[in-house]
Amino acid sequence: MSSKTMIEAKNISKHFERKIALSSLSFSISQGELVAIIGPSGAGKTTLLNSIAGLVSLEDGDLLIDSKPLKEYKRGKRFARKIGVIRQQFDLIGPLAVIHNVLAGKLSEWSLFKSLFSLLVPQDKETALTALERVGLENKPYEITATLSGGEQQRVAMARLMVQNPEIILADEPVASLDPARADDVLSMLTAIVIEKNQTLLASLHSVEYAKRYFTRIIALKNGKLFFDLPTEDVTHEILNELYQLKEQGSDE
Amino acid sequence: MNKLIPSLGLHKRFILTILLIAVFVWSLTSIQWNSELYHAGGIPTMLQIFEGLIQPNLDSELLLVGLESAWITLAYAVAGMSLAIVYAFIVGVLASGTLTSSKFSRIISKVFFRGILGFTRSIHELIWAWLFVAAVGLSPYAAILALAIPYGGILGRIFADMLNDVPGQPILALKSAGSSRLQTLIYGYLPLIWSDFISYTMYRFECAIRSSAIMSFVGLGGLGFQIQLALADLKYDSVWTFIFFLIALVIFVDGWSNFVRKGLTEHKRRKGMNSGWLSVLFALLLIAASWFYITLSEKANLGELLSEKNLEYASKFFGGLLGINQENPAFLNGESWALALKLTMETLEMSVMAIGFATIVAFITVIPAARNIANGSLTLQKNWYNRILYGVIRLFYIFSRSVPELVWAMMIIFIFKPGILPGALALALHNFGILGKLWAEVVEDMDPRPIRNLATAGASKIEILFYGILPIVLPRFLTYILYRWEVIMRTTIVVGFVGAGGLGMEFKLAMSYFDYTQITLLLLCYMILVIIADFASETTRKAVK
Repeated sequence: MSSKTMIEAKNISKHFERKIALSSLSFSISQGELVAIIGPSGAGKTTLLNSIAGLVSLEDGDLLIDSKPLKEYKRGKRFARKIGVIRQQFDLIGPLAVIHNVLAGKLSEWSLFKSLFSLLVPQDKETALTALERVGLENKPYEITATLSGGEQQRVAMARLMVQNPEIILADEPVASLDPARADDVLSMLTAIVIEKNQTLLASLHSVEYAKRYFTRIIALKNGKLFFDLPTEDVTHEILNELYQLKEQGSDE
Repeated sequence: MNKLIPSLGLHKRFILTILLIAVFVWSLTSIQWNSELYHAGGIPTMLQIFEGLIQPNLDSELLLVGLESAWITLAYAVAGMSLAIVYAFIVGVLASGTLTSSKFSRIISKVFFRGILGFTRSIHELIWAWLFVAAVGLSPYAAILALAIPYGGILGRIFADMLNDVPGQPILALKSAGSSRLQTLIYGYLPLIWSDFISYTMYRFECAIRSSAIMSFVGLGGLGFQIQLALADLKYDSVWTFIFFLIALVIFVDGWSNFVRKGLTEHKRRKGMNSGWLSVLFALLLIAASWFYITLSEKANLGELLSEKNLEYASKFFGGLLGINQENPAFLNGESWALALKLTMETLEMSVMAIGFATIVAFITVIPAARNIANGSLTLQKNWYNRILYGVIRLFYIFSRSVPELVWAMMIIFIFKPGILPGALALALHNFGILGKLWAEVVEDMDPRPIRNLATAGASKIEILFYGILPIVLPRFLTYILYRWEVIMRTTIVVGFVGAGGLGMEFKLAMSYFDYTQITLLLLCYMILVIIADFASETTRKAVK
């Protein structure tokens, strides 16, 4: 595994009104790592991913992406080559054909004219078809995306990520609304693609099962704080029970 | 097999768009584009009108006149709406078929009462006003009935639709509990729809204000009358003063209806009904004051309306319309039909041109006019000028929709020579604000997640527009274009009154020559147009779905 550090968080903090979302988090993730973020609802998983994606501004601390502060990346073209995001299937434009949703991953590279022309005559068609073939949707490039099933839509989103080809992939509950078979399907495909391209994956998950099965490292959050940060094989039953314990212990606030 | 159908659907939409653009271009070819279109003094007049806009006449005496006319306009609108609601309620319930027992009688009552509603709303309120004035003379009742009949038709139709769309289970439960038909209506249907019905009625009330203002053009008082007088005297600064009164009235009603709608959605959550009762009280006061004013101050008397003399006039008038005792009624004359059909075509072209112009302007302005784009929450991009642009465009929208198309037409006719172009421009000026507002709400209501994801994928603002926003909103944009086109079709005849071409211009001529059978012929053509417009728009809307 390469030792290049892709994401480095130093004491990052964020409040929403009076609620603490992230409190003084620090960790670093190297290129090629598959990291799962777990924790009870409201622990700050989504806020953490959104702040790395630059959607939420931090109050305190530093966030380095590929050794450069996040603030130095301007929104848009160059940032899109670094970081790509995948969520539940609400990422896609329903009324567009599948191929256009996949090619949207190219918008950061294309000129305005080319992207408009592509809506009439799809450009870089080969790239899109290769990606669709990889996710098993090669026979559906011209279907309207909204007519696809949830699992298929998530695969379209993965094809878009392949076309966008960022160095880091942030996945926010990528399988939250899928049944177990579809979820397994999507996660195995996603992790396989990431390993193949030597990308870095950071995913928030509800299910510890999936985190253990597909990821090499697990970061647990509780009340916006780092609860543990361990290689998957070191995560024990006891520590997980403690993470999901319902009763609030001590006076954390 | 699966593969072909969706891509066909995609292309169907594309072909339809091309088709609609082609129809618009065709309508443009009906005009000879040269300097003959506008008056020699047209441009200086335009500058003068514009000067009046910047410096409206704020003379205290004029303001007092404006205040009084604004009250008359409001009172007519309130009185007309109160009758419309009664009419809509009774005929709407009958047209929904909820009170009938057997299937057969239900179909009969549906067809019959829906037919009545359809007929009353297909004729524009100003035509009703004209017919009433011709039949019973200048009386406030002419204006009130002219408002009540078409608005009752619209409200009644919506009311019947809502009653028919009520979910079945609660009704079935009531019936199985042994409630009678009337009880089911009061305990089941009405509570389920009344909040939607009130919202819609408030929206229509805003339209009724504008309609009430233009009632003046058949000789009844109010803001429109003052605008007409000031225009005749070429006092453009006073024209704008009265227009500002009208805008204020529209904004007041708009604000009130927002308040009511908010109250309706909110006290589903909290129990208090304070704001609701306040509005009810205010509405009752307004209705009482309006009727009080009309019957006492204006000395209008319903009995007088039905006097022997009036009945004689009315029977003579309607007899004339039917061609009784006429040698050669126009509607049986081939030559008159040929002329009328030519005018019908012109009117159709005018309506298409109008909706085309309105669409272009609304399309250019709608994106900065959406709140979620102005504050950057949709596209994740924030610019200092976004908020200013938002404010300016929204101001234009309010301005555009507050001024009735007839008033726009009266001003434009000073600049352009009579023809279909000034009519189309006046209709477009009134409609782009409505279209823009409706569209902006569509953009504001859309799911932001796919758009934000495009932004994180590095799409620029224009790329987001074409890849994200347009594919999602276009079908709904198109629906609104078609709805507005239906409305424009009905209004074409009205802008014609002031010389903007088409059927309306001929209608007014026929009116002033007392050529009754010609009026019947033109009304027939007009109704054919309205039916065609409704049919075409419904077919197109279904094709998009």
